[in-house]
Amino acid sequence: MATPAPVAALNLSARFPGSVTADARPGYSGWIVEKGKLLEVTQALRDEFGCDYLSSVTGVDYLPEGKMEVVYQVYKTTGGPGLLVKVQVPRADPVEVPSVVSIYPGAELQEREIWDLFGIQFSGHPDLRRILMWEGFAGHPMRKDWKEAYYEEDGKPFKTRWPEGKHALAESKNPFGDNISYPAGFDPEKWIPEDAEKALYGALARYEVRDEAGLGTDHVIVNMGPQHPSTHGVFRIAVMLDGETVVSLKPVMGYLHRNHEKIGERNTFLMNMPYTDRLDYLSSMSNNFGYALAVEKLMNVRPPERAEYLRVMMAEMTRISNHLMAIGALTNDLGAYFTPMLYALEERELILDIFEAVSGARMMCNYFRFGGVARDLPEGTLQKIKDLFFERLPRRIDEIDRFLTENEIIRARGIGQGVLTAEDAIKYSAAGPLLRASGIPYDVRRAEPYSIYDRFDFEVCVRQNGDIYDRLMIRFDEIRQSLRIIQQAVKQLPEGPVAAVKPAYQVRVPAGEAYGRVEGPKGELGFYVISNGKPSPWRYHVRAPSFINLTAFGPMCTGQKIADVVAVLGSIDIVLGEVDR
Amino acid sequence: MTFASILEWLIKGFVWVMILLGGFAYLTYYERRALARIQVRIGPNRAGPLGLLQPIADAIKLIFKEELMPARADKLLFFLAPIITLTPALVITAVVPFGPEGLNFPLFGRVITWQIADINVGILYIMSIASIAVYGIVLAGWSSNNKYAMLGGLRSTAQMISYELALGLSFVSVIVLADSTRMIDIVEAQKSMWFMVLQPVGMVIFLIATLAEVNRSPFDMPEAEQELAAGYHSEYGGMKFALLFMAEYDKMIAICIIAATIFFGGYREFWFLQNTWFSVDQTPILGPVYVFIKVFILLFGMIWVRATLPRIRYDRLMAFGWKILLPLSLALVFLTATGILLAQEVNPLFMWGIPVVSLAAGFIAILGMYQTLRRKEHARA
Repeated sequence: MATPAPVAALNLSARFPGSVTADARPGYSGWIVEKGKLLEVTQALRDEFGCDYLSSVTGVDYLPEGKMEVVYQVYKTTGGPGLLVKVQVPRADPVEVPSVVSIYPGAELQEREIWDLFGIQFSGHPDLRRILMWEGFAGHPMRKDWKEAYYEEDGKPFKTRWPEGKHALAESKNPFGDNISYPAGFDPEKWIPEDAEKALYGALARYEVRDEAGLGTDHVIVNMGPQHPSTHGVFRIAVMLDGETVVSLKPVMGYLHRNHEKIGERNTFLMNMPYTDRLDYLSSMSNNFGYALAVEKLMNVRPPERAEYLRVMMAEMTRISNHLMAIGALTNDLGAYFTPMLYALEERELILDIFEAVSGARMMCNYFRFGGVARDLPEGTLQKIKDLFFERLPRRIDEIDRFLTENEIIRARGIGQGVLTAEDAIKYSAAGPLLRASGIPYDVRRAEPYSIYDRFDFEVCVRQNGDIYDRLMIRFDEIRQSLRIIQQAVKQLPEGPVAAVKPAYQVRVPAGEAYGRVEGPKGELGFYVISNGKPSPWRYHVRAPSFINLTAFGPMCTGQKIADVVAVLGSIDIVLGEVDR
Repeated sequence: MTFASILEWLIKGFVWVMILLGGFAYLTYYERRALARIQVRIGPNRAGPLGLLQPIADAIKLIFKEELMPARADKLLFFLAPIITLTPALVITAVVPFGPEGLNFPLFGRVITWQIADINVGILYIMSIASIAVYGIVLAGWSSNNKYAMLGGLRSTAQMISYELALGLSFVSVIVLADSTRMIDIVEAQKSMWFMVLQPVGMVIFLIATLAEVNRSPFDMPEAEQELAAGYHSEYGGMKFALLFMAEYDKMIAICIIAATIFFGGYREFWFLQNTWFSVDQTPILGPVYVFIKVFILLFGMIWVRATLPRIRYDRLMAFGWKILLPLSLALVFLTATGILLAQEVNPLFMWGIPVVSLAAGFIAILGMYQTLRRKEHARA
C-alpha cells in the first residue's frame, strides 16, 4: 500500500480522466464514477489512496431526473474525513450496478438491503436475496413511486388528518382491503413461500464429511430464532452444524422491519427526531446526536456552547448505559444467570434517572433539536450528575470489572474465541468496539472530531486480540473514558442559552446532501440526509452500526462451537430496532 | 417378607414421596428468593405471606395448562420420558437413614426404623439408581423430534456418563473410610469425625460431580437456555413439563441428602455439639432436624453457584471431567487406602496423612489447570 494521500487533496478525476467527475450539483460533494469503471476506481481507492474502510453504501432514487444513484462512503482507518463516491444509472428496469463485495466485503449486507429496498441489482454479489422485506414482497418500497397502504401524500402533515382542525385517522376512512392490489393470478390464501427457505439453506455452504471408513456424516441445520432466548430480539441465525461445530452461518433479519427510512422521508425534518430514538432504543441520545449533526450541516447552524456541552454529556452517558447493558447481556449469554446483568442494570437505572430529569423520558429521550437541545438542565440535576459520575459510578465500574474479568470461566469462554483479526475487521466494515477490540484505534470522536470532542482529554481505547474477552474488556475501558469526558464537561459547563434558533415546528433546510456521523456506543452511526428544499427530506438513510457489524458475524463464528455463536453475538452487541429499522 | 412389612414400606414410601414433592415446591420458592437476594431483587412476595403460596399458584397454573404433543413426536416415549426421569429421583433416597437407632419405635410388634429400606449395599443402590436417571432425559430429547431437544439429550448423556466415574470413585473413598456399604454404618463411622475432614478433596469432587449429575449451573448444558432454548424439555408443557422440572429439583434434594449422609455426618450432630444435650445419642429426635439443616445449607450452596458462575463450554466440561476429575479421584482412592493401611499397621496418626496428602493432590490438579490456562494466555499475547 502506498502512503495514503490526504483524502481532501485526492483528485480522482485526474487519476481517471473521463470516467470520474466531481459532483457539481449545488450542496453536493464527492465524485461521480462511471458505472463500468466502478470496480477499477474502488480498487484504486483501496490500494492506492489508502481508503481501506467502506463505511456505508446506500441508494438514492432521483425520480424526477429519471436516474438512481448508489453512494459509497469510504475512509482511511488512520483517520480524517471521508470520501463520497457515487454511481449514477438510468432508472430503467433492471437497474444494475457492479457489486463491490469482492473489494469491500463489508458491502455484502448493505448491497442486499439496497436490492431489497431500491431494486438495484448488484451483478457479482455472492448472495443477492431480500434481507429486510419478506420473500415474495412485490416491489421495492424505497423507490419514490412505491406507495404504501393508506398512502395520502408525499409529505406530512397530511391535510386530511386535520379536517376543520380536528384529528381523524386515515384508516377510518379507508377500510382495510380497499387499497390492496395483488399481481394477476395471485391468491394470498394459497401462497406458500417455500423458495425463500431453500435459497437461505442453499446459501449455507453445504459439504459432506467422510471419515477413513467412508462413513458419511450429515450436517444439521439449526435455526436459532426468531424465537430464541439469546438472540436479543426477533433475530434468526441459520447455522449449519457438524456435531457441535459451526460449519457455516447466515443471519436472517427483518422481523422488526418498519421501513424507518420511508417513514423518515414522509416526515418533516423535525418529526424524525423522535423516530431516531427508536433505532437503537438503548442509546437514543446518540441517535439524536447523529441526526441533528447531519441536518445542522445542511442548515449551517452551530448550537451554542452550553448546548454542545450538554450534548456531549448526554451522548457519553448513553455510551455508559449502553455498555453496561452490553456487559450484562454478554455475561448472561455466557450463562451467568442474570446476576451481573442485574448489577449492571442497577447502575443503568441511575443514568436513566438523569435522562428522565432532562428530557422527560427514560429511554425515548427526543432531547436534541437542530441548533441546540430541547431544554436546559432542571434545578438540582447537575448535582445529581456530579454525585453519580464523580463518586458512585467509578467505584461500581471497578467493582463489576473486578468480579467479572478475573473469573476463570469467563476467561476460558472468552480468550481466543470468536476472533476477528484486524484485517478482517476492516474488510467487513466492523465499527465501534468491535473494530477497536481487533486492534484498530479508530474512533470518530478522534478521527474526525465533531461537536466539541477536540476539547476533551481522553484516549481511544484499543485491544489487540479481537476475541470475545477483549470485546468485553474494551467496554469497561470505554466506560472509563466516557466518565473522564463527562467529568471534564461538568467542570467546564458554561452558562448561556441552549438553543441557537427559536423552537419551530418547521425548519427551513436548504437543498443539498449531508452526512452526519457520530461514534455511537455500537459503532459509527451515520445519517445521510438529502434535502431538496421541501419540508421533508428527499432521502434519509441510517448507517446502522449493529446491522453492518453483523457482516462479520458469519466469519467470526465459523469453526467455533455452537455455544460460542451466542457469546459472539452477545459480544457484537446488536439491537434489533437498529438492525431491522 | 410379610404383609405387614410390605404395608410398612408402602406407608413410609408414600409419606416420603409426599415430603419430596412438597420439598420440590418449596425448593423452587427457596431458590427464587435466594437468587433474588443475591441479584438485588425481592423475588416472589405477592401470593400469600412472604409469597409462601407462590409454589401452589405455580402448580395450579401448570395443571391447567394445555397439554401439547408435537405432531411428529414419538407419542409413547414422549409420554413416558417424564415419568422415567422422575422415578429415580424419588426412589434414590430410599436407603438414606434419617434418624439414629435410638429413635426407632415399636408399632404393632414391628420396629419402625427411620429409613425406608435398610439394605447392606445401600451405597451401591444409590450409584445404580443415579445412572438410570439419564434415560428419561435422553428419551425426552429424542422423542420430541426437535433439534434443540436432541442436542440437549445427547449432551446430557455424555455429561452424566463422564461425571458418573468421578462420582463413583468418590463413593469408593467413603466406602474405604467407613469400611462398609451400609448407609447407617457410614453415618455412625462419622461419629467422631466427618468424612468431610478426612477426605476434603473427595467431598469437593463429589459436589462438583453431583452438580453435573443433576444438570445444575455451571454444568447445565442439557438445558443451556442461551444456547438450546430449553434443551431436552423444549417441547414439554403443562404437567409433563412439571414432572421434568420436579425431577430436576427432587434430584437436587436427593443429592444433597446423600452428600449430607456420606460426607457431613448424616443425622449426627455438628461436631461442636458432641456429648451435649444436642447430641443425637442423648436426644435422638434431633436426627432428622440435623439432616434438614445440612440439606438446607447444601442447597443454598447450589443456588449460590447458579447465581454466580457462568456456564462452562461443553467441550471444556468434558475435558475437565475426564482429564482432571477422573485421575484426581483415582489418586484419592489410592491415597485413602494407603493412609488407612498405614494407620492400622504403623501408627494411627497416619490417618491425618489422608487429608494432607489429598489436599496436596488437589492443589497439584488446580496448579495444572492454572498452568494450562496461563499457557493459553501467553500463546495469545
